[in-house]
Amino acid sequence: MSNKRKIVRSLPVLALIFAIALAGCAQKPSSGESSAAGGASPAAAVSSASPSAESGNTPQGGELSYALATSPDQLDPHRSGYAVAVRVIRTIHDSLVAQAPDGSIHPWLATEWEASPDGKSYTFKLRQDVKFHDGTPFNAEAVKYNYDRILNPETKAANSQSLIYPYESAEVLDEYTVKLNLKTPSSAFLGNLSQALVSIVSPTAAEKYGDQLTKNPVGSGPFKFVSWEENSQIVVERNPDYNWGPDSLVDNTGAPYLDKIAFKIVPEEATRIGSVQSGQILAGETVPPQNIASLANDAKLQIFKSNTQGLPFTLFINQKREPWGDTKLRQALQAAIDVGSIVKTLYLGTYDQAWSPLTPGTLGYDASLENANKFDQNKANALFDELGWLKGDDGIRAKDGKKLTLRYVDGSPNREKRNDIAAIVQQQLKQVGIAVEVEITQDFRTVIFEQGNYDIYGNSQVNSDPEALRNFYHSGAKSIAASQNLPGYANAEVDALLDAGLVEQDPAKREDIYKQIQQIIIRDAVIIPIYVFPYTVAASKTVEALKFDSLAYPLFNDVYLGK
Amino acid sequence: MEDTVAVKSPAWRESRAASERVRIRSGIRFSALLVYGAGLVIFFIVLCALFPGQIAPYSPTLMNVDAIIQSPSLAHPFGTDYYGRDVFSVVVHGTRDSLLIGIASVLVGGLIGAAIGAIAGFLGGVIDTIIMGLIEVMMTIPGILFALAVAAAMGPSLFNIVLAVALSAVPGYARVFRSQIISIKGRPFIAAARSVGAGRVRIFARHVLPNAWAPLLVMATIGLGTSILVGSGLSFLGLGVIKEIPDWGTLLSQGRGYLTVAWWMSTFPGLAITLLVLSVNLLGDKLRDRLDPKKNRI
Repeated sequence: MSNKRKIVRSLPVLALIFAIALAGCAQKPSSGESSAAGGASPAAAVSSASPSAESGNTPQGGELSYALATSPDQLDPHRSGYAVAVRVIRTIHDSLVAQAPDGSIHPWLATEWEASPDGKSYTFKLRQDVKFHDGTPFNAEAVKYNYDRILNPETKAANSQSLIYPYESAEVLDEYTVKLNLKTPSSAFLGNLSQALVSIVSPTAAEKYGDQLTKNPVGSGPFKFVSWEENSQIVVERNPDYNWGPDSLVDNTGAPYLDKIAFKIVPEEATRIGSVQSGQILAGETVPPQNIASLANDAKLQIFKSNTQGLPFTLFINQKREPWGDTKLRQALQAAIDVGSIVKTLYLGTYDQAWSPLTPGTLGYDASLENANKFDQNKANALFDELGWLKGDDGIRAKDGKKLTLRYVDGSPNREKRNDIAAIVQQQLKQVGIAVEVEITQDFRTVIFEQGNYDIYGNSQVNSDPEALRNFYHSGAKSIAASQNLPGYANAEVDALLDAGLVEQDPAKREDIYKQIQQIIIRDAVIIPIYVFPYTVAASKTVEALKFDSLAYPLFNDVYLGK
Repeated sequence: MEDTVAVKSPAWRESRAASERVRIRSGIRFSALLVYGAGLVIFFIVLCALFPGQIAPYSPTLMNVDAIIQSPSLAHPFGTDYYGRDVFSVVVHGTRDSLLIGIASVLVGGLIGAAIGAIAGFLGGVIDTIIMGLIEVMMTIPGILFALAVAAAMGPSLFNIVLAVALSAVPGYARVFRSQIISIKGRPFIAAARSVGAGRVRIFARHVLPNAWAPLLVMATIGLGTSILVGSGLSFLGLGVIKEIPDWGTLLSQGRGYLTVAWWMSTFPGLAITLLVLSVNLLGDKLRDRLDPKKNRI
């Protein structure tokens, strides 16, 4: 009998291994299972029709479950720094103005506005019928309170601080008229005001909750905050009083059709997409490239894809660390990395390669940079040799006894396959004789932003205006250890151009300024642009009229659940 | 049931006994076959760990952009992954780390566990109570959870992974070794040694230790399988080391996002882990049967 027992003994081992292997691809569709978790069955959608809605033929009600790839950091718009948070924040909060996909600015909470002749102040006329979710009326005081709140160091504002630059103060002219004063004229200011991270929160709630506003967000948006279960889900419900949607972005300016949106937090990509395929969740964001083709062929599903704007995913080379302060050495590095094959290999043709510090579609994008700086291993080798970095017996280059090493830091979890980019760069640079040490860490905030302990770090930023470059390339920006910008770059010419671009009123001249900046940054090999991130959503075909704003953030005002 | 058996004829009983004998005999053959198979698998895996360059057809770091996500073929028996690497070559080269984590953690865990067990068992008294109390506390935490906590707290490095897996196995080794020491301590030959004037250290080193190691050896062999599994599990969960040449657990984890489009990326590393652990366990069982005093003594 003992032999039998041995086999039986081994079975749990086998089972465990298969369990581990299968854990990732769990949640496969089990036939005939109803979507109880989603709670969005057609019956529910019909029965809970709301009488207050104006358009009679759009199906009302229902709950949309929408899977997010990571957890938002904050729901207080002024303190958040994550794109994923904006997807939720946008449903709860409104902005003064809206930016259409063509870049033009349209009314939202402000009905009209006027810039002073010197460009240093804007006077806004506000809507008079707007109320926050807690009943607080929206008025000029509220606008002043919000923008002052961002400037107030006690708020610990994040990205909103650079978005609102150069805002200085506000004057309440009457109940519904407010004048915003700027330190310098800014052509980016109006566009930036349209962004969700500088949207308007209820002053009453902000006073009441303080730091805890992030857990109890109160705005004036189409949906009201209901609950946030950490690492599980965030629920928002319909705001029945909503009547001030931006007609430049959405068709339905009244209360939304959906009763609720449940933002589920599902970091595991196979699980997220599997749940959409099985119908447990109606929509899921960030579809892995390898799944896009097969999902597009699925008769029950649809794929939405919208390229983001702002700064593409870019590798920043830290010039403050030796030997990377040498422009020629960085140019050699630039020529040694085959970005084209990285993008092709990892994203299977679903992402576009980036060529500039800006993404296509952002104002001033310089298309002439495309295909300009090509991968050229021979050129790279020649440059390294010329600079005196010669290959040793181990295949690694060295100069004066110092080996040519490069510390590449990236964050965990492996968002958008960024860790895999590090692995490929490591192999490519090994071929030209650079030893790349890859560190993948969950604690990248400390390593990068507090210690500045990296030669290469990759980052991207979704933004509406090329003014976003300031935070990364202006020598006055000191995001790293309060002493340098991300690439450790200080170029007086770029500084002057960035300052000029901010105040320039003529759009054509502005474009020209930003083109010059892009050319200089690429010429100086400050960065290696990698890819433009397309925001992708896989959704059941019952999800109708999902729209995206100019920054590829989803808009749920028009969404209804069909059959 | 008892009744029906009783009324059956003796002839029937005999035939049943005969068939039982046949079953046992063929069973033994089957088990011997399994053991040889397991030995062969381990032999091959050790070869892979020692000479990966001679066995793998490609370099494990060669990323071929023109051959990404290809299904198994003659050129690539295990297919290629999303970097365009040959999965077979990567698995072969990943053997060394997977095996190293397993063996090193068993050695470290076994040595620490044996030392603790020996001290507790030989000295006895208050020291024994305190040490074993601590071990009991450690045992209340499940091994994998303990390893996870240690690995997460100390950060990813090969040494930390080994230590994490080793520490999670310490309580088991300590308990077995302690009880073994205690049972040997009570044997007459120890009393005899003491009566002829041997010191405590001499008794411990010359008489107790040499007679106590056998169960530990069996336990270590079987523990090897568990250690490889826990090590791979930690790598799978992203607590392992990110290196140019990934170990099997990391490979499993890298391929799981592609399971619906390219099953071979995680299936083959998974099979490698399965085969290795299964083989080690089979050999461990065999070794236990051989060393079991109750079975072999006349």
